[in-house]
Amino acid sequence: MNKKVIKRTLAAALVGTMVFGSVPTIAGAEEATGMDAWEAFDETVTIKIPVYDRGAEGVPDVTNNYWTKWVQSEFGDKYNINVEYVGITRSDVMTDYALLGASGELPTILMEYDYDKLATWATEGYLTEYDLDYFAEIAPTYYQGMVDRDQLQYVEMAGGNYLVLSERPYYETNYTYITFVRMDWLEEVGYDYIPSLTSQDYIDAMLAIKEAGIAEYPDGGVMLTGVGSDQTYAWRTYPQDEENWVMYGDYQIPSLSSDENYALLSFLNQKYNAGIMNPEYYTIDTETDKSNFINGETFAYSGYISASMDWLESFYEQNPDAELAVVVQSTELNDEGYAPAYRANNPFGMMIGFSSLATEDEITAAMMYMEWMCQDETLETFQWGIEGENFTYDEDGNKVSIDYSEQSSDYKQGYNNSIDYWCIVTASRSTGTIEDTIIASLPQNLPQNFNDAVIENYYNQVEVASYGWAVTDCMFGDALESVTEYQETLINLYIELRDKLVVASEDEFDSLYEEYAQQYLDAGYQEVIDERLELFNEGMTTKLPTYDDAVATTVE
Amino acid sequence: MAKTKKPVVPKNDIPLGKAMKRDWQLYVMLAFPIILVIVFSYAAYPGLRMVFMDYKPMKGYAGSEWVGLETFKKIFNDKDFIRALRNSIAFNLLDLAVGFPLPIILALILNELRYPKFKKVTQTILYLPHFLSWAIIGSVAYTMFRPSTGLVNIILMNAGIIDSGIPFLTEKWHWAVTYLLLGVWQTMGWGTIMYLAAITGISGDLYEAAMIDGAGRWKRMLHITLPGIRPTIVTLLIMNLGRVMGSNLERLTAFENSMVRDFSYQFAVYIYEKGLSASKYSMATAVNLFQSLVGVVLVLLADRVAKKLGEDGLL
Repeated sequence: MNKKVIKRTLAAALVGTMVFGSVPTIAGAEEATGMDAWEAFDETVTIKIPVYDRGAEGVPDVTNNYWTKWVQSEFGDKYNINVEYVGITRSDVMTDYALLGASGELPTILMEYDYDKLATWATEGYLTEYDLDYFAEIAPTYYQGMVDRDQLQYVEMAGGNYLVLSERPYYETNYTYITFVRMDWLEEVGYDYIPSLTSQDYIDAMLAIKEAGIAEYPDGGVMLTGVGSDQTYAWRTYPQDEENWVMYGDYQIPSLSSDENYALLSFLNQKYNAGIMNPEYYTIDTETDKSNFINGETFAYSGYISASMDWLESFYEQNPDAELAVVVQSTELNDEGYAPAYRANNPFGMMIGFSSLATEDEITAAMMYMEWMCQDETLETFQWGIEGENFTYDEDGNKVSIDYSEQSSDYKQGYNNSIDYWCIVTASRSTGTIEDTIIASLPQNLPQNFNDAVIENYYNQVEVASYGWAVTDCMFGDALESVTEYQETLINLYIELRDKLVVASEDEFDSLYEEYAQQYLDAGYQEVIDERLELFNEGMTTKLPTYDDAVATTVE
Repeated sequence: MAKTKKPVVPKNDIPLGKAMKRDWQLYVMLAFPIILVIVFSYAAYPGLRMVFMDYKPMKGYAGSEWVGLETFKKIFNDKDFIRALRNSIAFNLLDLAVGFPLPIILALILNELRYPKFKKVTQTILYLPHFLSWAIIGSVAYTMFRPSTGLVNIILMNAGIIDSGIPFLTEKWHWAVTYLLLGVWQTMGWGTIMYLAAITGISGDLYEAAMIDGAGRWKRMLHITLPGIRPTIVTLLIMNLGRVMGSNLERLTAFENSMVRDFSYQFAVYIYEKGLSASKYSMATAVNLFQSLVGVVLVLLADRVAKKLGEDGLL
């Protein structure tokens, strides 16, 4: 135990004695712990909790609404804790935290879904180490959840205990992200199935749709927007080579120069030259892309499911005779021998760290907040809201969220059932079985019902995961300097080079790819992959999981 | 025409204290802009020392490592910096070459309009683009100029003038022209205000005398109006030269797409992408300082040249 941790433990013990009269010491306490042992602070302690400000339309002020006041009255007032929320711009998290840090106004806790951001915060002094035993004592329910989910292995980062991990149910699947396609179009051109979206069969289907005059550019297309772009999971060979996974497996920086990226871009180039993509796709933003689908101009659209999906409702209003289908996860290799692989999530949701500017009392109060938030009744209320205002019951007695636009402004929940508040506990709302959860997460008032397809998609993803085709990215135990240095440059350079490759003629594609790959490596990507490999060789990365039922791809 | 003489400024023998007491209202009014400039321009100057540091927000100035000129060395060796420098200079000079004379010409033309109502309506129409944000202009421009779905191309194709869409915004050379012309369109009307104000300061007697001497409108414009606004032209030219290293992120972002980054990659983009987005505040500040210093040098040089040529200059 290093000096800092010893000091913290002693200080924590002192605070524990002061704040919780009934908790005499950390070690050996046999009396009540957790919420049962809590007593109010003598003097008001203020904690600042970050909450994403997504700029979503019609959402109440994220820092001051019915639910923030509810937290204060149900939790804060009881323990003499003043809970303040700090809005964090969803699209510019690092800048917001940097500005808050520079002005000494860092929230008591910092949280993010991206591992790299936490690594940067840990190494640049934003975070302080915490004592896991003390956390277990203050927040036993939360701690036990981490133990049950086998997450303690991820607590340590940059040589210290920095992270608290929330839950991500069903993390090996992507059941909440669904692709909808125009089944009526496919049927019109003689298909009674949905071709693999990464196959020649798909290009043929789109060409048939185009030639039938149904849509000019059925494949559509949209400009790349940055991190997470051009994921290559479906273009890799399985089982993966571990070093390859370490070097190219991270989705934060696209892997131009890797075989899988070549395969992906080559396919996009084929689509472009076949004339099924909008020739100016790189000028189309995500909202226009969505509108194009709603207006019946494109074949497919993907999005997260939720109880109220306004874009799907709009789609049916615009296309009353249309028939949609959900792309159900395939469990077989496609005609080219590629696996229907996808990126599995991290085995945790939000990663939480404590501010280096926070006092011991504030950290204790933040731990109390986390413990209170993960109590069943708190979570249930926060996720579902108030009966009659935010949800009702269906005939089977299951809760059904009231459409967001119909919720009273007095009790209106935050974005996506207030997820940005309760994400500190879990990444998604669970309702008993996966079937119940999926049904509760889908709109039930549409002309078509997708419950069965989405449930089937989930189970197929579970099957696919067992084949080793649901891939979790490699995580690094330290901040990578090269990533900090080059990430933004590489992402922007990638967008530029990638689009030039996509629109290139098929003849010049290979030579251009070679040229751009070298340019990309020279711009910093070589340093990134070298440093990743170095950490891997030093044993400072997670390992590629092995699977008993692993299935190999047959691609040449 | 005789050289314009410098106005004679009467010597002020009133002590400052007395003058302030007498005109205190004026001094109070003056205090506000001065305070604003001090607070928002000069008070931040000590922060510039971050260009010599590897500045980390959580470590602050005291805790961040002092790296001397390392950041500058890094920047000047960066290929992207050279690209941004080349594009910034080229596009600002082109902006200046195309955009600077037009408000002058327009002001001269507006000044010749004889129907007050028509003149006012024309001026208002010309001023309006100034109040549109680049985001709106960019969005409208894409709707108008997309090769296959843009209104302009559709009209041209339907009229049989072209066979395939002109890539106004999706091919770098076409983009450069469109970008510059839209810039001129947005700023041209507003830019006439200064010149029109200067024109109103020209004595009517000069025009009267010229008319008696038989000078037509063209001659009067050329020999009275244009020389009358020459000091304003020189002043604005010097000020514009100070912006040769600058660039407007909003304008670039509004027109940007991946096919034209060879040209759209200018300093504002460089600072935003490589500096601010990557939390490299020292680097962003260093580039900005470089821009400012070059701008100041250009202004001083231009001012000196102007004075050598017999103009008043700026300073």
